[in-house]
Amino acid sequence: MELPENPDKDNNGYESAEKIILRWDSTVSEEAREKMIFETDRHEADLYLQAVDEIQRSLSNASISNNTNAAAAAAADDQSKVNSTIQIAMARLEDEFRNILMTHSSALETDSLFDPSSSSFSTPSHHELEEDETVSNEDSSQNDLLHLELKHCASSDSSTYRSTSSIREVDLMPVEAVCDLQAIATRMISSGYLRECTQVYGSVRKSAIGLSFRKLGIEKLSIGDIQRLEWEALESKIRRWIRATKVCVRILFASEKKLCEQIFECVGTDIDDACFMETVKGPAIQLFNFAEAISISRRSPEKLFKILDLHDALMDLLPDIEAVFDSKSSDSIRVQAAEILSRLAEAARGILSEFESAILREPSRVPVPGGTIHPLTRYVMNYISLISDYKQTLIELIMSKPSTGSRYSGDQSTPDMEFAELEGKTPLALHLIWIIVVLQFNLEGKSKHYRDASLAHLFIMNVHYIVQKVKGSPELREMIGDDYLRKLTGKFRQAATSYQRALGALRERFKTFNAMLEEVHRTQATWLIPDTQLREELRISISEKLIPAYRSFLGRFRSHIESGKHPENYIKYSVEDLETVVLDFFEGYPPSHQHLRRRSQ
Amino acid sequence: MPSTDYQGSSSPLTNLGRSFLPLRRDQVHSMESPIGGSPSNEAELESFQRQVADRFHDLASVPSDELLSLPWVRKLIDAFLCCQEEFRVILFNNRTPVKKPPMDRLIADYNERAVKALDVCNAIRDGIEQIRQWQKLIEIVLCALGGDNNSYQRSLGEGQFRRARKALVDLAIAMLDEKDSGQALAHRNRSFGRHNNSSSHSKDHHHRSLGHFRSLSWSVSRSWSAARQLQAIGNNLAVPRGNEVLATNGLAMPVYTMGSVLLFVMWALVAAIPCQDRGLQVHFNFPRQFPWAAPIISLHERILEESKKRDRKNACGLLREIYQMEKCSRLLGELADSVQFPLNEEKEKEVKQRVNELKQVSDAMKEDLEPLEKQVREVFHRIVRNRTEGLDSL
Repeated sequence: MELPENPDKDNNGYESAEKIILRWDSTVSEEAREKMIFETDRHEADLYLQAVDEIQRSLSNASISNNTNAAAAAAADDQSKVNSTIQIAMARLEDEFRNILMTHSSALETDSLFDPSSSSFSTPSHHELEEDETVSNEDSSQNDLLHLELKHCASSDSSTYRSTSSIREVDLMPVEAVCDLQAIATRMISSGYLRECTQVYGSVRKSAIGLSFRKLGIEKLSIGDIQRLEWEALESKIRRWIRATKVCVRILFASEKKLCEQIFECVGTDIDDACFMETVKGPAIQLFNFAEAISISRRSPEKLFKILDLHDALMDLLPDIEAVFDSKSSDSIRVQAAEILSRLAEAARGILSEFESAILREPSRVPVPGGTIHPLTRYVMNYISLISDYKQTLIELIMSKPSTGSRYSGDQSTPDMEFAELEGKTPLALHLIWIIVVLQFNLEGKSKHYRDASLAHLFIMNVHYIVQKVKGSPELREMIGDDYLRKLTGKFRQAATSYQRALGALRERFKTFNAMLEEVHRTQATWLIPDTQLREELRISISEKLIPAYRSFLGRFRSHIESGKHPENYIKYSVEDLETVVLDFFEGYPPSHQHLRRRSQ
Repeated sequence: MPSTDYQGSSSPLTNLGRSFLPLRRDQVHSMESPIGGSPSNEAELESFQRQVADRFHDLASVPSDELLSLPWVRKLIDAFLCCQEEFRVILFNNRTPVKKPPMDRLIADYNERAVKALDVCNAIRDGIEQIRQWQKLIEIVLCALGGDNNSYQRSLGEGQFRRARKALVDLAIAMLDEKDSGQALAHRNRSFGRHNNSSSHSKDHHHRSLGHFRSLSWSVSRSWSAARQLQAIGNNLAVPRGNEVLATNGLAMPVYTMGSVLLFVMWALVAAIPCQDRGLQVHFNFPRQFPWAAPIISLHERILEESKKRDRKNACGLLREIYQMEKCSRLLGELADSVQFPLNEEKEKEVKQRVNELKQVSDAMKEDLEPLEKQVREVFHRIVRNRTEGLDSL
């Protein structure tokens, strides 16, 4: 580099630059403390930046001219002075940098995304909402981002599209601010003050992200907190998290990345990567911690569908996560996301197994009034319907056959299932069939606690219900297959036949009872026990045995008889009738008075 | 029962009796016919206890300047991972008895404890990140004062010192316990001319921003407490009773051992690394019959002692490197405050020496922080995996 021709002129330039820098030294001047250069005046700001440039120039000049010892000593002095001035300038620029950042660091504008009246999010039923999110993931996110674009399109010369089409960067601050920041950053970095620059940048932007997080409803929950929450509360948090994370990854983080690129444009990608990671690493970890906690929570059947929702949402986001976090330093974030995804898949599989075991073990023995469906049947069939709704995801996730009877053959406590006739079915379909097999097995077990007609009746009503449910859903029917459906229907018919038999036997019992009652009445009414007290006691004693027994008998079997033809042929006497009958005993009536008076007539 | 009957006996049971069962000799006699315990099972259990003991003896036999250093902490975590892996093997080899009561309940208890440790792992990860932030401030100091080898030849001027002092004050504030930071912040603002009077907007923002810097480094809520979490991990951790040992065919012992190891390791990590509400008052009560009890108790005592020392009482973490960082930076700061310009040769030498010390600490940390973070994450993963496996097999 050549020595300048006119050293004086150059010195003047240096001196006036130095004056400007010193004037704005806030450790010395009250006025300097009270005003911000970049807020005051465009011209002031430009002057200041030029001053900095001048000082930097003289720094590089000064490092050359030291031929003699004296010159070297003088140069060293000069250099020290220049260094001092630079430091003052850098400290000032750091303040200005921070100030500009803070002025423009507010939460992301997200109103349009969470407008309750907007169509993507206002649905009454739980199930429909899930459907919205799982089926039309792409669509709904496009809608939201569309709203967002309309709001922000004014100042954007900027929407650069990355490799995935669902990412939309927005301008987080006005262009002038970005330019100022860039001007400052460049000078700080060329003076060797990169670290101060990135530190200020990171801390202010991180707090801005914190504000956005709060607005999006992202909470700081520990794993312990999440374990203690009721599942219903967690479900709504998961829903909110899914929505919030889409915004975070596709808009918020992507925009921060773009901002870094813009501000640190002139200084190379390593630096803007480092700044970006400085800013988002903490928040990203905080965000994913929630999903991680869900993925390791205790498994129980009701969690399956929300876990699948979470899985699908994360799956959907994975390409975006990889696009936004594409540097080496962001490895850990990508890795964590992938880990969470695989844990969610594992959880789903585990829950399905758990569900199957739960059906097998379900122990309730409460008799269900005749004609109604056992709650277990209802629950299981509803669950299966939901499973078929999530068929797309589950087909990918469920990869192994159910652990079934073939392993435990000979074990009376589990059913067998032959796989020979089930070749070519997906593992998911096998699981569904297995679930129905297990359900039936459990119902059969329950039926053994009922006697006679109730046994068969319970069974056929429930099997009928199962068959109807399968026939009613095309996906279910397709997965379970007509072969198995035929098997089920066959069982239904078998059960129906044995029911008929049982019913016939029951009718016989009623007829027999009626005949015996009439015979006894005919006889006992003519007997006489003169002693009133003895007569009373005997009648009471007979009633105590007879009435409750008949009441219970009627109670258990009345509905079966009444659901068939001509019930009046079998149920002739009510409990009250029986009471009246006993009153006639031992009265010594003449044979002519022997008709049974039936109050019920 | 004369004790000579049981000395020198080749029955593995007597070894059990002597080494870690908290039973009296006459009780050992009643254990003569173990309930289905095979010789291999006993050898396995004995070996587990021995290995745990050996590892902790190793960890305890370090001189005090190595205790709680980064390499030592890494060794501690390694030891934990090894113990846990062996524990897992024992459970696997004894799958059937593990599923029966009361063993199933004991395992479930252990898994619950282990899940509580997951939050500690996450808090430690945050703490490591905090230490990284401090390191970045140190790098500014080193850059300013020529410790980064780039400008070593340059003589040190006022500007560089100002720059270094600013970073040193920031570092001191960052390393303070939260409750003390308000005052220090005000002082710093005065010395470095921050804007206290300009628009309240930026003032609030400013304070909020710096305060935020701290709260944003924790990814858990303000109410989370490491001390409480440790208490929860140690809750109901009790030596198995004789009948429990019998009923579980001796397997209750490794479960208790693993629970104790878990508690101690988490406690030590909380002691070393900054995290929210770092209380160290958890009650430890390990019976001396266990071969690992002595080294763990000794380590516990030594660490507690360290925490009570005058110059470490208010430390936000007992990690040796944190202590060195704090000491070096404080000395350097005092030196920097006292220099007159231009520097004489002696002063300059002194400064360069301090800078060098600081650089050594910083370099040492740079190497170990990332591997430490990975190890902690590995602990997280293993705990989750073992729990899942446990759930599946039940």
